[in-house]
Amino acid sequence: MRSIDDFTRPKEYISPLDEPLGKIIRDWVEKDVIPYRRLYDEDWLKHEYIMPPFNRLLGEYGLQRLLFPEDLGGWGLGHSDYAMTATYRMIEEMSRADAGMAVAFGVVFWPIMLITMEPHVNRRLCEEFAPMYCETNEACFSCLAMTEPQGGADIENVHIMKGKTINTIATLDGDEWIINGHKLWPTNTGGVCKLIGAVCNTKAGSTDPNDIALIFIPCDAPGVTQGTAYEKAGMAADKNGDVWFDNVRVPAWYRAHGPGLDAKYFNEVVAIGNGVGSTAFNSGQLLGVFEILQDFVNKKTYKGRPLKEHDAVAGVLGDFATTLLALRTCGYQAARMMDRPDLYGPRYSDEQLAKARAWKYFCADQFVNIMERVMQIFDTFGADRDWDIEKHWRDGKIVQLWLGGKQLGQMEVARWFFDCETL
Amino acid sequence: MKEYDLFPYSKERLGDLDVALATNIKRWAENEIISKRLEFKEDYEELLKPALKSLSLDLGLQKMLWPESCGGDEHTGPDAAFTLVAALEQIGRADTGLGYVLANTLAVQSTIAMAANLKKELCAALASLFGGKKLVVSALILTTYGEVGDAKEEFRGKALQCTAKQTDKSWIINGQNVRPIASGSVADIFGVMCSVEGSDEPAFILVPGTSKGLSRGEVFKKTGLAASLNSNISLDKVKVPAAYCAWQGEAGYQDMMSWFYLALSAVGVGSLLATYEIMKQWGDDRIIKGDTFKENPLTASLMAEIASEVSTSRMLTYDLAGMLAQPDVYGGAGGDATFTTATMVVHHVMQAGMKATNSTMELMASAGYAKEWQLERYWRDIKTIQMHVGAYEIAKMDIARYFYDCHKI
Repeated sequence: MRSIDDFTRPKEYISPLDEPLGKIIRDWVEKDVIPYRRLYDEDWLKHEYIMPPFNRLLGEYGLQRLLFPEDLGGWGLGHSDYAMTATYRMIEEMSRADAGMAVAFGVVFWPIMLITMEPHVNRRLCEEFAPMYCETNEACFSCLAMTEPQGGADIENVHIMKGKTINTIATLDGDEWIINGHKLWPTNTGGVCKLIGAVCNTKAGSTDPNDIALIFIPCDAPGVTQGTAYEKAGMAADKNGDVWFDNVRVPAWYRAHGPGLDAKYFNEVVAIGNGVGSTAFNSGQLLGVFEILQDFVNKKTYKGRPLKEHDAVAGVLGDFATTLLALRTCGYQAARMMDRPDLYGPRYSDEQLAKARAWKYFCADQFVNIMERVMQIFDTFGADRDWDIEKHWRDGKIVQLWLGGKQLGQMEVARWFFDCETL
Repeated sequence: MKEYDLFPYSKERLGDLDVALATNIKRWAENEIISKRLEFKEDYEELLKPALKSLSLDLGLQKMLWPESCGGDEHTGPDAAFTLVAALEQIGRADTGLGYVLANTLAVQSTIAMAANLKKELCAALASLFGGKKLVVSALILTTYGEVGDAKEEFRGKALQCTAKQTDKSWIINGQNVRPIASGSVADIFGVMCSVEGSDEPAFILVPGTSKGLSRGEVFKKTGLAASLNSNISLDKVKVPAAYCAWQGEAGYQDMMSWFYLALSAVGVGSLLATYEIMKQWGDDRIIKGDTFKENPLTASLMAEIASEVSTSRMLTYDLAGMLAQPDVYGGAGGDATFTTATMVVHHVMQAGMKATNSTMELMASAGYAKEWQLERYWRDIKTIQMHVGAYEIAKMDIARYFYDCHKI
C-alpha cells in the first residue's frame, strides 16, 4: 500500500539534513503528538497536553536553536543554503499530525530569521537573545506582532499603505525606544511568548517606509501585557491573543536593522511565511488526511465493494492525490527560491513576495476545496472527532485567512505581473 | 422582517399565520439565543436544551404536525411545507443545531402524522409523547457504509444498520453499535431503518428510547451541532408493537427523506441568512485601504457571491416546498421527481452554505475564525449537517439514475 513517502519531493535540491530532521520530527509526532491530539481542542487555553511535547522538541532536543550561530550554541541553519527546504520538511512532518503545533513551531523562528539569516545577520542581537533559546531545556516561544485592531492587511500592504496604518509607535528617547501600541493575533501569545518582534512605526501616520521599525521586545519588559488566548475554530496549539505595549522601554539597538532595511526584511519574513510556511502547513495536513482516507476507503464499503473501487469516489481520491502532489511541488519551489537568492533574487524583493503570495493563496484554496470534497466521502463519520479528519479541515482553514488574506495576495500578484499602479 | 424583502421567495404561498410564526420565532431567537450566546456559547444544559424545550413546547413546534385527536395542532396538510420552511429558516438563523434536531422530529412525525400518511393507531400510541407537555427528542437511524468482511443487507448500496423480524404482534429489532444521525444519547424516540427478515424491502420502525434492550454509548465529540448530543446505541432483541412500523419500501423512504431534506434545506437557508447578516456588519464597519470594506470592488465581488448563494438557496427551498405542497401537480413526496429534487436541493443548499461561510470567513480573516464573531459556528454546523446528508458522490448516483435512466450505477 502506498505511503506518504510516495508523494514526490524534489530530490535534487532537498537539504542534506532532510532525512535526519524529518526523522526527528516524525518520531516525535508518532510518540508525543498523535496519541494526544484528540485532547488538544479542549486544551486551547491551558496547553496542559500541548506544552510537554513542545518542551521536549524545542528545549530538550534543542530545535529552537536551529537558526542561531554555532558559536552561540545554535545549529547554524541561518547560513545554510537549505534553510527553507529543511524548514519545509520539518513543518510538513509536524502538520501531518497537528498543524497548530507546526504553526507554533514555525513562528518560534519567524522573527528570529530577521537577525540570524544571511545576509542580514545582526550579530549583537544574536548574542543578546541566543541564551534564551540555547541555554535552556524548556520551550522558548517567539512571536511576530503585526496585526492591529484596525486591520492587518493594510499593515502588510507595505507597497501601497507604506506603514501608514501602523499605530504601534516607537519613539527614540536617548538610547532607548519607548513603545506604545496594541497588537492582535500574533501566534505564540496568550501568555506563552518570551520574545516579540514588533512591527512599529517611528512616526505616527508616516508613509515613509524608512519609518517602519522591527523592534525586539522581551515579554518580561515592564509595560508588556499579554492578554488571554482567543478561542478559535481550531489550531488549538497556536495561541493567539492581544499584546499591549504601555511605555515599554528597550535599548535602541533592539531594532532589527534600521531605516529602510526593516521594511525590506519585513517583506522577506512575510514572503517566507506565505510561500514556505503556509504551503507546508497545508501540504503536511494533506499527508495526514491521506493516511486517514486510505484507511477509510479500504475499510468501508458501498454496494459490497470497498469505497475506493467506486468510480465516482475514486474520482475524488484522484483529485486529492493530485492536489497533494501539486501543493508539495509549489511549496518546495517556493522554499527553493528562498534558499537561492543568487538565482531568484533577494528574498525581500517584490518578485519573491508576489510569487510567495501566489503559492500561498493557490495552495490554501486548493486545500480548502479538496477538504470540502474529501470530508463528504466520510459521510456521517466525517464530523467525528475520532476520525481526525474534521480536525484537519478546521485547522487548515486559517492558513487561507492569515497574512492579509487572499485579497491582499491577489492584489500583490496582479501588481507584480501586470504592473498595476493603484491597487 | 428585512430578509423577507431582500431575498426573494414565493411570497404568495406564505400565509399570514406562517409569517406570524416566523416573526415570533425571530423575536424569541433574539431574546433566548442570540443575546445569550456570547456568554453561554454552545452550552447544552444552560442554553440549547432550554431553547429546544421552549421551541418545541412554548412555540408549539412539537405539536405542529401532530393530529388534533392526539393532542396536536393538526397542521398536517401538504401546505405545512411552507410553514416548516418559514419556521426552520428562523430557527436555523438562531442556531443551526436546534434546527437540525427539530428536523429529525419533524421527519419522524411526517411518516405517521401527515394527512397523506396518517397512521392512526401509531399516532394514538404516541399521543402522550408528542401531544404531551414534555420535550420529545427524536433521532433517525438511516443507512451507512458497510464494512469489509461484515455483510449487512444493503439499501441503495449502503448498509442497513439494524435487522427486524416480524412476529404476529411485534417487531424484534437488533443492531450493535448503531449510529443515529442525531441525539443518540438523549432521544426519546428513534426512527430506525431496518432490513426485514424474509423481505427485500426495508422498514422504518419507531423505537421508544426507554425500550428494554436499548443501550446508549458515550457521547462523542464532533465538528458542530452542539444541540445534538449524539452517541451510538445498541438494540438487543428490542421489542415494539407491530403497529410501530411507519413505512416499508422505497416510496416510504423517499417520502420521509423528501420532508427531511426540505427541513434541512430550510435550516441551511437560516444559516445562510445569519451568515449574510454577519457579512453585512463586517462590510459596513471595517475599513480597508482607507475606505469602507464593502466599497472595494474585489471584496464587493465576493460579497455578491455570498448574497447570491443565500438568494438562490432560498428560492430553491421554497420551490421544493411548493412541490411538496402540491402533490396533485408534482406527484407525492414519495415519488421519484420530488425525492430527486429534494436530494438536489439539500445538497445544493449545503454546498451553498459552505461556500458562503467559507467566503465570509475569508473576508473576515482571523476574526471569522474566532468564536467571538459567531461565524465559525455556522461554518462548523453546516458542515456537520452536510456530513449527515451523506456523500455527494453517492447522492449523485440517485440523481443520475433519475435523469439518465441508469441501471448499473
